[in-house]
Amino acid sequence: MAEHEAIIERMRDSILEADDDEAVAAAEAALAAGMDPLAALEAGFSEPIRELGEAFNRLEIFLPQLVLSARTMQAGLKVLERALTTAAREAARKGVVVIGTVEGDIHDIGKTIVVAMLRSAGYEVHDLGTDVPLPQFINVAEQTHADIIGMSALLSTTMLRQRDLLELLQLKGIRDKYFVIVGGAPATQAWADSIGANAFARDAHEAVLCLNARARNVTSRA
Amino acid sequence: MLSFVEIAKRSETGPLATADDFAMQNVAFRVSALEKKYGLRHAAGTYVNCDDDLADRAWQAGRELILQSGLYSLNSRRVIQFDEQEVDERLAAATAEFTAGAGKGAVRVYRRDVEDRRPPVIFGGPFNADVHESMFVKLNEAFAGEPLIDLLLLPGYLKNLDGVEIRPNSGLSTRAAMLYARWAREALMRAGRPGMPIVGHAVMALNEIASANEDWGLRVCDPRAFAIISELQVDDVTLTRLAYYLALGAPIYISATPLIGGYAGGPAGAAIVGVAAHIASVLLGGDVMHLGPQHVKYKQQTNAMSLWMGSVVKQAVARNSRMINTTSVTTSGRPGSLQYILEFSALALSVVTSGSHLTGPRPAEPLGWNNVSPLMCRLFAEVGRAAAQLGRAEANQIAGALHAKYQDKLDLKDAPVGLPFEQMYDVRTLQPNAEHWALYEQGRQELRAVGLPL
Repeated sequence: MAEHEAIIERMRDSILEADDDEAVAAAEAALAAGMDPLAALEAGFSEPIRELGEAFNRLEIFLPQLVLSARTMQAGLKVLERALTTAAREAARKGVVVIGTVEGDIHDIGKTIVVAMLRSAGYEVHDLGTDVPLPQFINVAEQTHADIIGMSALLSTTMLRQRDLLELLQLKGIRDKYFVIVGGAPATQAWADSIGANAFARDAHEAVLCLNARARNVTSRA
Repeated sequence: MLSFVEIAKRSETGPLATADDFAMQNVAFRVSALEKKYGLRHAAGTYVNCDDDLADRAWQAGRELILQSGLYSLNSRRVIQFDEQEVDERLAAATAEFTAGAGKGAVRVYRRDVEDRRPPVIFGGPFNADVHESMFVKLNEAFAGEPLIDLLLLPGYLKNLDGVEIRPNSGLSTRAAMLYARWAREALMRAGRPGMPIVGHAVMALNEIASANEDWGLRVCDPRAFAIISELQVDDVTLTRLAYYLALGAPIYISATPLIGGYAGGPAGAAIVGVAAHIASVLLGGDVMHLGPQHVKYKQQTNAMSLWMGSVVKQAVARNSRMINTTSVTTSGRPGSLQYILEFSALALSVVTSGSHLTGPRPAEPLGWNNVSPLMCRLFAEVGRAAAQLGRAEANQIAGALHAKYQDKLDLKDAPVGLPFEQMYDVRTLQPNAEHWALYEQGRQELRAVGLPL
């Protein structure tokens, strides 16, 4: 037991110090010691990354540390995933998110913060970057079996693309497959309602809270 | 001396980097190292920096950052690098004074020093708020009718025309760009200030040429505005605009919005990036540099960190260069609320005593159309003039007292919702209604009560 606790401590430290190599080594050690990979993932990686997300929300740490730690978690997760059963993998995963800044808009930072926070909250996130053509959101969502699409727009002018993607989903008859969340400086709850989005988030913290609430609903309905 | 052609060439030939690598390696890690090297730290409870040495260290750190990091060209994915000689030459030749506008409406825009007793120049107007086409001329006429506003600022987004939403780069967007310029000029004419300068842009770069017209549109004497993308990035649209503005010969107004909590880190890191962005603006050929100190959590500029950061950047620039600089003022409270007044006054105090002019104010999250007030801009200008009579220590004390009054309502969800223009003004006479006058008087009383010499 003491060995297991020491390994969890190594995993936690690797996240807090954003040490990719140590995260991989600690995850390997957890598997070699016969630990339950799902329990190791939760205590060793998910918990400290959640703590960092909360610290970021309180501005006790800043974006670079959150991004680096989220990357470290991805590195360690790859090791643990090898040992997870399909059912355990599903249990560990809250949702698959395809996210990007809509076409015509190259603003990145807000979306990057959302990506880091969602990863730190346990979501599988496919970040399409900026200036993303609408069909690409749909193509990647279909390929990755995503259940959530997130769109960011910083400009009043490009915000209209959020509406267009919802229309496109409707046109293709796949609107109900996806939970669509929108954000960005000009977006509001009224805007989200008017275009038929499932949700609006003012910031990354709200996005996590909103998707977590959705995940709980999905789980309770299952 | 470094030319636009050379910058454009470097955007095609500079070292390749991914956007992520530039943000982390060139900005985040270097800013963190420079923060330590120059011992820059935000002292909680300080709203206006009073430490000259700290301001000078922030300047050195920002200068070092732009030399180390360069500017990132998003579309070509290349880094535009600069050397020391180029930076020093361009800084030595930076515009220290220019005239905008025409005839009796011409305005002299000049650099200010820290604790400069001369009043700040006021860049005031809708500031890119969503302005409905039915109210566009009236709203801008009301702003232009305020004598303390020197330059009409960004007359507003025309989101739709004839009930149709405008798609970027569509035919409708070109029509909107032309009407934007034409209606802004009409507003100046109706206000009796035809020569008043307009700080404008056509929103979409392709429409810049369509909106330029000496007879009815944006003139050569009207400053043109664009933004450096956070952090330290430009794109093809930026460079397209710049090429046109330089060829046109119009004054160039460049904004930068370093983000506290983002890649720059905390307020001290954001101050370093802010200084670097000001220097980058000069390298690009800017005549006025605008700081919009942003915050990852509050998304506005009157929180304690942004107040301090703005004062440090402005002092660093004013003490170490001949740049003309201004600061945008974005609040949580919205027009029609007392909180709006308290917030814009706090930031005005912070930056006017630090060598800046004033741009704004505006709410960070406007609620619908026309959520701006010309009368509030008048009060903003009055606060700016009063602030110019103060030293930094006094300004720090008053800004702190104001901050204490609104700090619990910074979250945009909790901030007062305010009113649209139509509910604060009689739109036939373009005069504020009784309630809005009462708010103005209440605001003045509150400001006098905390020691502002209005």
